[in-house]
Amino acid sequence: MGKTKGMRLRFCIGDVLVIGFVVMLAILIGVVFWIKTGTEEGNLVVVYREGEKIRELSLDKNTEIFIENSYTNKLVVKDKKVAIVESDCPGMDCVHSGWISGKGRSLVCLPNRVEIRIEGEVDSEVDFIVR
Amino acid sequence: MFRKWLFLVLATLLLTGCGNSPEIKETEVVKKQYQASFLNLFDTVTTILGYAETEEEFEKITDDIYTKLEKYHKLFDIYREYEINNIKTINDQAGIAPVEVDEEIIELLLDCKEYYYMTGGKVNVAMGSVLNLWHEAREDGVDNPLESYLPDEAALKEAALHCDIEDVVIDEEASTVYIADPKLRLDVGAVAKGWATEKVCREIPEGLLVSVGGNVRATGPKPGDIPWVVGIESPWKENSDYVHTLYVNRECVVTSGDYQRYYTVDGETYHHLIDPETLYPGKKWKAVSVVCEDSGLADALSTALFLLSKEEGEKIAKQHDAYVMWIASEEEIYYSDGFETIIKR
Repeated sequence: MGKTKGMRLRFCIGDVLVIGFVVMLAILIGVVFWIKTGTEEGNLVVVYREGEKIRELSLDKNTEIFIENSYTNKLVVKDKKVAIVESDCPGMDCVHSGWISGKGRSLVCLPNRVEIRIEGEVDSEVDFIVR
Repeated sequence: MFRKWLFLVLATLLLTGCGNSPEIKETEVVKKQYQASFLNLFDTVTTILGYAETEEEFEKITDDIYTKLEKYHKLFDIYREYEINNIKTINDQAGIAPVEVDEEIIELLLDCKEYYYMTGGKVNVAMGSVLNLWHEAREDGVDNPLESYLPDEAALKEAALHCDIEDVVIDEEASTVYIADPKLRLDVGAVAKGWATEKVCREIPEGLLVSVGGNVRATGPKPGDIPWVVGIESPWKENSDYVHTLYVNRECVVTSGDYQRYYTVDGETYHHLIDPETLYPGKKWKAVSVVCEDSGLADALSTALFLLSKEEGEKIAKQHDAYVMWIASEEEIYYSDGFETIIKR
């Protein structure tokens, strides 16, 4: 009886160190995973004109750019979403496509020969989307 | 005791850490997913997805696909002339003379005749004169939305008199096509993309996903025998979600929808899928998706089934081992036998 009691009380500095170590390790692992997924979500908005990559934008940063070719597309990145909000192309299909987000999605202005693609490392659930 | 238990927890934690460590993955030969797009073929977007070790390796494959598709793009064009005789050349010589053409045009037109009889005339490449009236009205309406108009009713009816597919005379031996009716025009838009996709996909490496304007065809699963996942986007833009995501290994997925190409007259939308019987856009469905092995067939079937009732369409689909999803409204979606087996849950 007395023996057990003694063991319970003998909670030495080493134990505290081990507990501390485990907690620190847990936090460290947590932080590493958080940073990793954080950067993986940091997808890129890539602008192609005539099949050539002309700009890379961060999906996380609100931006507005104009893409000039035969026509002019106004591209807006806002709240991790992308859209062509203005265009002088016939039909304006690109503007009507609305806002996109998520890896693998793309916006196209066929008359202006412009494609905007969201690219990133994360393998999303879907390989390809058809309308 | 307590200390031992603690070490056990610590050890487990470290072990789990090892399981996720990237070092294990790095020893395998990792093929990366690449994507390429072309915006200048068939007046639509062509996208190729595939896995390769380097970008150069992937580019070699896509360059080859481009060359192959470009040939069909030129052959099946009804608006532009090229260095070779194409469908436009045949149209321009309607009622005048037979035109000697590439054997692949002969092959396409023979298949088109088959599609015509198979679908009870719903897929008719000889109705170019009718489609042209709609095409002009749509182009004008898109350019000038305030002055958009419908094609003239009398003109549509007159054009409809010149749509007899048997007036398209094919001489296989001489490799010529002659349009016997001077007012008949060919328009292969409903089938050419799918047909060309199928042809090209039979000649390219395994494990690719090719989409030509929404004619999606896979040439085998992804590395590790993993099927491709193709999302069918919801026709209702506000959702911007999928109706379904489908597993595809070696099949083709095509959707015909009233929201793909359209224009507006007096607040009402008129889409591009014209019923040869009514001469107006089909109204039965919002969208019809077809999955089958042959992309040319799938393209023709999706057009036909969009214009047919579910019962009629189901019969044709069954004869050709095609799976179908009919979308009437957000609440009203029907499936053929087998379609649900490829839905990713």
